[in-house]
Amino acid sequence: MTQRTLGITILALLFLGAVAIPFTGNGYILSLFYTSALFTGLAYGWNIISGYAGYLSFGQITFFGIGAYIVAIGTTRFHAPWYLCALVAGVFCAALAVPMGWLMLRLKGPFFALGMLGLAQSLRISTDLIPWTGGADGIYLPPGSNGVQVYYWTLAVLILAIVLTATIDRNAFGLRLRALREDERAAGTLGVDTTTTKVKAFILSAIIPALLGGGYAWYLTYVEPSSIYSTEIELQTVAMAILGGMGTLWGPFVGGILMSQISQALSTKFPQTHLMIFGALVVALLLALPRGIVPTVVDKLQGKRKPPEPEPAPLAQTEVVT
Amino acid sequence: MHLELVVQLVINGLLLGGVFALAALGLNIIFGVTRIVNLAHGQLIILTALICSTLFQRFNITPLEVLPLAVIAGMGVGTVLERTLLRRLPEHQQTAETTSLLITFGVSYFLIGLSLAIFTGDFRSVGYLTSSWTIGGVDIAKAQFLAFALALFLAAILAVLLRSTPVGRALRAASQNVDGARACGIDIDQMRTLSFTLGIGIAAAAGCLLSMIYAYNPDTGSQFTLIAFSIVVLGGRGSYAGSVLGAALLGLAVSFVGFYGNTHLGSMMPYVVFILVLLFRPQGILGKAVA
Amino acid sequence: MSALLEIDHVSRSFGGLRAVNDVSFTVGEGEIVSIIGPNGAGKTTLFNVISGLFPPSSGDVRFCGKSLVGMPTHRIAQSGIGRTYQVVRPFIRLSVIDNVAVGALAHAPNYRTARKVAAEILDMVEIGHLAETPASSLTLTQRKRVEIARALATRPKLLLLDEVMAGLNPTEVDRMCGFILGLREHGIAAVGSIEHLMRFVMKISDRIIVLDFGRKIAEGTPKEIASHPDVIAAYFGSPLET
Repeated sequence: MTQRTLGITILALLFLGAVAIPFTGNGYILSLFYTSALFTGLAYGWNIISGYAGYLSFGQITFFGIGAYIVAIGTTRFHAPWYLCALVAGVFCAALAVPMGWLMLRLKGPFFALGMLGLAQSLRISTDLIPWTGGADGIYLPPGSNGVQVYYWTLAVLILAIVLTATIDRNAFGLRLRALREDERAAGTLGVDTTTTKVKAFILSAIIPALLGGGYAWYLTYVEPSSIYSTEIELQTVAMAILGGMGTLWGPFVGGILMSQISQALSTKFPQTHLMIFGALVVALLLALPRGIVPTVVDKLQGKRKPPEPEPAPLAQTEVVT
Repeated sequence: MHLELVVQLVINGLLLGGVFALAALGLNIIFGVTRIVNLAHGQLIILTALICSTLFQRFNITPLEVLPLAVIAGMGVGTVLERTLLRRLPEHQQTAETTSLLITFGVSYFLIGLSLAIFTGDFRSVGYLTSSWTIGGVDIAKAQFLAFALALFLAAILAVLLRSTPVGRALRAASQNVDGARACGIDIDQMRTLSFTLGIGIAAAAGCLLSMIYAYNPDTGSQFTLIAFSIVVLGGRGSYAGSVLGAALLGLAVSFVGFYGNTHLGSMMPYVVFILVLLFRPQGILGKAVA
Repeated sequence: MSALLEIDHVSRSFGGLRAVNDVSFTVGEGEIVSIIGPNGAGKTTLFNVISGLFPPSSGDVRFCGKSLVGMPTHRIAQSGIGRTYQVVRPFIRLSVIDNVAVGALAHAPNYRTARKVAAEILDMVEIGHLAETPASSLTLTQRKRVEIARALATRPKLLLLDEVMAGLNPTEVDRMCGFILGLREHGIAAVGSIEHLMRFVMKISDRIIVLDFGRKIAEGTPKEIASHPDVIAAYFGSPLET
């Protein structure tokens, strides 16, 4: 069995396993898998703009929150089915991401990161000012919430995100993204339309959390600013993606799944201090494996790098006449 | 009648600015020299405030009494932070920026957890110096005034330090041109550590004073990081006078918008200002234009 | 030969500083033009204006008759101006072939085609064997070749080479000169900026343009420049004693 067939088999088994979970009838296990799928999906969404494009964002929760609120409002005010609202949320956030990305992506590095953080904070604070959101009181969604439905929805979005990332990882768009991540100026003078490319990445990174947020609202059956625009969710998403390996195909997967389990285990064992331990773990792992788990493991598996090549032969063509 | 109101709003704004300036000064020193955005800055301020609130509640020790110790502790924490976590950064400028952002992010995460574990999610405040002086029909809140005065004092001392002492000049050189400074024999590593020592020390002072002014809980940290950074950007990176000026302006904006508009709109001002400045005048008020 | 590139009274100021001051010249197809001048003479700024990193404060830059002012950087690259940088910086976390493929994407419709083009170019500059090597483990000379390969992949009609000799030892300089001369055979014009290494500038240039403090102080064939009093004054401070 070749490596590729083995990989596909494992993925297929995982997929089947994931799909079968609701049939166990165990609510606790379902919630465990739901949370893992949710965070892994969020990590994939974050990974596109932050990992591949190199624009670290601490505010992707913005789209997550908007998605949640659109579902909340859509199901209560318009009596629309929740998944339809979630799709609308996806489209809405994609459209929103165009002007937002065009504006915000002018900022570099820490400025962009904090700018996005500021955006998320602003939205949380200003929920009171936006009509229909129920302000600080929040919105109670109509009954009929089915954890299983949301789980499958989230799983579907996760798979979509993985397929999307797999495509980006080896196509022209992805190469342009990585080029502008490494050196935006040089990419420009080599013909890469950096503005359009990074805005596209921003759009993709907006759609995924929007769809996931929509599902989350239906899962919680209640939305209010601080639990939806949650710092903790943002922190965990970022932590999982970077620890797994930013800018890689399987980094968010490993980070998401692994860190979800650790996070769950910690919160059960150490209910008071789990956040602190997780935070310390994040710092420790960042120092030990700065590039994340996946790249480090891949490097180890490929063995030591060959020593640098000796000087190349002279460039042929015309010799300078002395 | 209306004039009195405006004057009150101006006073409130300026005093608020003083509070903001304290938060910003520390961040500015660190960012100016090392180009590291300390995402954990606000969290450290809040942690100090939380400690002050517990000391006041349990042992009746006022934040003013805690202040000198807090500053020393803060300086210690800053030194340790820089030495242990931020020392070995990759050479490539962009990767270094990303890595330091992620590390301070991790530290902030840890501190949130630590604060929640010790102090729980309840909002706290220190009920000390909560009264105001009334001069000519205008109220001047005591705690805020103290913060304002301290901010001006610190900014003035910093200005003197940076201009007249060899260490100060070395610090300025390091923040303006790393390679040039190195060529002049300045120990860049020492300067980086010094910037953190000073920066976190000031953050601790800010925390003590803020403990009496606001109500806060462990989640409030990022708000302060943002406010601080907003001011650094508004005033111009590396310009301490700019930070004070920027803080004053921001304070006025929050005060006026908060009154005439809505408290929520008021609290959004730091973010609004941040984004507007970055998009339309990235060098800030007193900073030099970026090439 | 028709004028490929026209620099028409270009000036560029930063705040109060005039980095480029009313510079005009043309470059024809396949020509090799060297821009020489001491450090700070405005060479790199001029290149930045041409490749569209920022617009001129005044004046016009025309390529194949069309004005480049206001055109976004990537479109200037796509119209046929390639550029290398003085401080050579490949896309560090990408492989060598991916580095070059980025340039190829300027005209290639997809990644696979881009890689093919990239592989050919790598062979042309004789680092084909380094294709899958990460750019982070290259020596300076190798990096320079990647830098050039990247720019070549965009199928330029004109190549801007900014201090391309920097950091090379005499043998490598030799090879680089050979390479630049070889560009002519592929119909690619070259404009190189250089601070010293006059012997080689004299040998390979069709024309030389001399900048000093942002102004063009001389233009001509190598022979004319070698005896030009202003050039000698700029480089040596005063006319040489004869």
